[in-house]
Amino acid sequence: MIDFLLEIGFEEFPPSFLKKSANELSGKVVNHLHQQRIFHRSVRTIYTPRRIGVLILGLTRKQKPQVVEIQGPPKKLAFDERNQPTEMLQGFMKANNLKRSQIVVRKIKKGEYVCGKKEVVGANTEDILYEEVPKILKTLEFPKTMIWTKGGTKFPRPIRWIVALLDRRPLKFEFAGVRADRHSMPNQHFSFKPIRLEKPREYINFLRHGGVIVDPNERRKLIVKRIKKAVEKMEGKPLCTNEMIEEINCTTEYPEAVVVGFDEQYLNLPEEVLMTVLKAQGNLIWLKPTSRFVCVFSARKKALQNVKKGYTLVVGSKLYDALFYYKNDSKQGLTRMEANTKRMMWLNGLGSLYDKASRLSDFADFFKKIPGLNLQTLKRAARLCKVDLLSEMIREKDFTSLQGIMGGHYARISGEEEAVASAIKEHYLPKFAGDKMPSTKEGVVLSVIDKIDNVVGAFLSGNRPSGSYDPLAVRRNGYAVVNLINSNSFDITLFNAVDALLKLYKKDIEHEILFEFFTERCSRYLQDKKYRYDEINTVLARWKGDIVDARMRCAALKKMSGKAEFTKLVIGQKRVRNILKNVQGLGKVSTELFKQSAEKKLFKKGMETDGQLKTLFEARDYQKILDLLLAMRPDIDKFFDDVLVMCEDEKLKKNRLALVSLINRIFLCFGDLSRIVIEGEKN
Amino acid sequence: MRKLRTFENIILDLSRYWQKKGCLLYYPYNSEVGAGTFNPATFIRVIDNKPWKICYVEICKRPRDGRYAENPLRFQQFYQLQVVMQPAPTNIQRFFLESLECIGFKLKEHEVRFVEGDWDAPTLGAWGLGWEVWLDGLEITQFTYFQQAGGLDLKEIPVELSYGLERIAMLLQGVKSAFDLKWNNTLTWGDVHRQNEIEFSEYNFLAADARLLVSLFNQYEAEAVRLFEKGLILPGYDHTIKCSHIFNVLEARGGISISERAKMIARVRALATQAAQLYKQKMSEQNVLKEGAKQ
Repeated sequence: MIDFLLEIGFEEFPPSFLKKSANELSGKVVNHLHQQRIFHRSVRTIYTPRRIGVLILGLTRKQKPQVVEIQGPPKKLAFDERNQPTEMLQGFMKANNLKRSQIVVRKIKKGEYVCGKKEVVGANTEDILYEEVPKILKTLEFPKTMIWTKGGTKFPRPIRWIVALLDRRPLKFEFAGVRADRHSMPNQHFSFKPIRLEKPREYINFLRHGGVIVDPNERRKLIVKRIKKAVEKMEGKPLCTNEMIEEINCTTEYPEAVVVGFDEQYLNLPEEVLMTVLKAQGNLIWLKPTSRFVCVFSARKKALQNVKKGYTLVVGSKLYDALFYYKNDSKQGLTRMEANTKRMMWLNGLGSLYDKASRLSDFADFFKKIPGLNLQTLKRAARLCKVDLLSEMIREKDFTSLQGIMGGHYARISGEEEAVASAIKEHYLPKFAGDKMPSTKEGVVLSVIDKIDNVVGAFLSGNRPSGSYDPLAVRRNGYAVVNLINSNSFDITLFNAVDALLKLYKKDIEHEILFEFFTERCSRYLQDKKYRYDEINTVLARWKGDIVDARMRCAALKKMSGKAEFTKLVIGQKRVRNILKNVQGLGKVSTELFKQSAEKKLFKKGMETDGQLKTLFEARDYQKILDLLLAMRPDIDKFFDDVLVMCEDEKLKKNRLALVSLINRIFLCFGDLSRIVIEGEKN
Repeated sequence: MRKLRTFENIILDLSRYWQKKGCLLYYPYNSEVGAGTFNPATFIRVIDNKPWKICYVEICKRPRDGRYAENPLRFQQFYQLQVVMQPAPTNIQRFFLESLECIGFKLKEHEVRFVEGDWDAPTLGAWGLGWEVWLDGLEITQFTYFQQAGGLDLKEIPVELSYGLERIAMLLQGVKSAFDLKWNNTLTWGDVHRQNEIEFSEYNFLAADARLLVSLFNQYEAEAVRLFEKGLILPGYDHTIKCSHIFNVLEARGGISISERAKMIARVRALATQAAQLYKQKMSEQNVLKEGAKQ
């Protein structure tokens, strides 16, 4: 049994994908060993800001030997009548260095063949690792990389050393211009002297002495312990999430913690502002509700007093700025800021932010029928929702992320109603997939209004998304619109909303491209809700922009798709559809031209169904609708079996096509079922 | 008690340190720049991909950051110590940390944190990856491996270190305001700069003649283009720098809309990109000539 240590050392790695990269590396190494039939007892994934790696204990020295079978000639040519090897078999044995005892007969598809069973001796683990580790390193994937040497290797940050130690032997392969060896590096606050490792088992302890806790789980526990210790017997509760702890873990080699204070006057700032300052300054943890925070740092304990001094200064100066802005903004009040929005341009050629706010307020009328909505509140919030972009706080890049939130605070300070303030606060939500949704009705609708306006505005100002180009995050906005409307079950026809908004813009644009955009966004949303692609296509084929309705139709289809009749229903519409390909200019059906009973029956059934459907569509009972459509199937089949549609008589032919077209229209009221893909079907 | 390090001695010590590492000691540019990167000693030199090591103090002008000398950490003019090493030595991080020791920070008694920071200069068509270096939480240096400049991919990847001299001196001298920094044993940073800050803040925010500035921007831009056409790249780049500074003053003065702002940035970038490409072309032509002469 032997041990293996791989450590890739670099300058400080971006914390957001450090853990993922370490797991990818160790996963790939372990997988590869498994594939190569090399077994091990235990694995530890290593990461700190300056290294990723894997420590594998109890490896086998060699690959497990393997028995392979080499196929020879067919049995009947391999043996003669007396069951003795023919010349052909002897030749095969000689060529492959096989004995008679290693020959067996195997039945395969083509018949019976002889096979030679041969044991392949396993290669050395050392040779395999030497060859394969550099290859694995090349396959690692990162969101962002750089180059730093002539060879042009890409990695997130420059690689400065590699340890590859198999028991006592270094595997001296080369990667990114660095030769792997047995020397690791300590924490830079401790020393610059390389740490020489005789064998992998020394790694964890030697590095600990060098000020590095290489095991992320151990380090995480220590961080929590240090925080607890630091705040012992102190008032307040440390406000920190698991994500914060993990981020600290990814920026720390050896955690120490110290409690730092700030001036009590800063407690007058809104909590969000305080938290933003502390978060940006390296995940500092607020001891709510006191004027103290915990700073976890990565240096020697001796540094504690200097760290405390430094952070007191930095946080104090950041909070000083924040309070300065907050006071100025509060004094200025919303009315002054609102006046200033006239001077701030929105998108190219689309007027000022003031114009945008006026438009949003007018657009709000379109949504007035939503039950429980206070239109006055909504319109007031719409007028004021962008005003904070003119505040000193939001114009400062450290606080830009608080847009909306500050607007809410300033609205409250300026004496606006609570409901107006909350709608302003919430109207940017959801900011990303899976983010919180606005909690008040006015907040939800304002978010929808603002986002539809963002989309339309982007299209009008030449910022239409294409491929990976989407500078204004129009796709995210469109998706959020669909999500908000569906999650709140609003009875809103999106296309009408778009038309209403376009009227307010007084700009000429083909609304089809916007309809297409929103249809695509709705399709994406329904896919995320686990509906099938073809089901969605069926429903959206004739879509008018009612999102809740589209979802209900998808649900009905999904429920039915498991049943045997479903295929019948689909094939019914496909037959109808196929015969109508390239047919145009059909008149009304005239019953006098019916010659066969199948025609009459189908017509009667169609009219009957059509009559019943109206009330069902009003009630949105799509389950029943599908059942009714399905019930037309026997008459459709009978019609196609008995009646020759494409007959010689032009008049009859036209009338029959008109009948088929009528049936088709009935189907299309639900959706284009011919888009459903049936297994085994050739288009 | 430790001896107090004056502002001027910190500059001297750092300069001497990098001189020993083989850097040429150089001087600030003679026209207003927002950062040491604009100095042709950085921007033009990283384009030709030849070995280059240099260290200089840059006087940086950021009109928007003026606070009439009322904010201890914000001013419209400050000092950077700029180090460029091309190609970046493999032990550059250690060189940097030892430079901190050389001006009096014992690494064992402080925390140096390398905080991920992607750097880009939109007006120069330049970007790189690296860190903000925090000493005990205070950002003291920008540490960047350039990847592109003037829109061109770089091959001999240079490293750029921009030390924020006021911040560093504040930590070393233990003062809370840059204005209280001892420049030498008798004068403070404030003695040297206070009046300048007050007057330039007023100029940048209120008194600057926006119409004159727009007109100057247009004229310098046209001049840069004319010079590029004549193959006079460095004079053309000099006018690019002037455009960039005028843009910064205009932005502080207010009244440029979001879209105008983006357009002006794009115009400066177009000039910088052109300078970079023409310079690269000229250098490779000269190399061909030299090779020819040798044969």
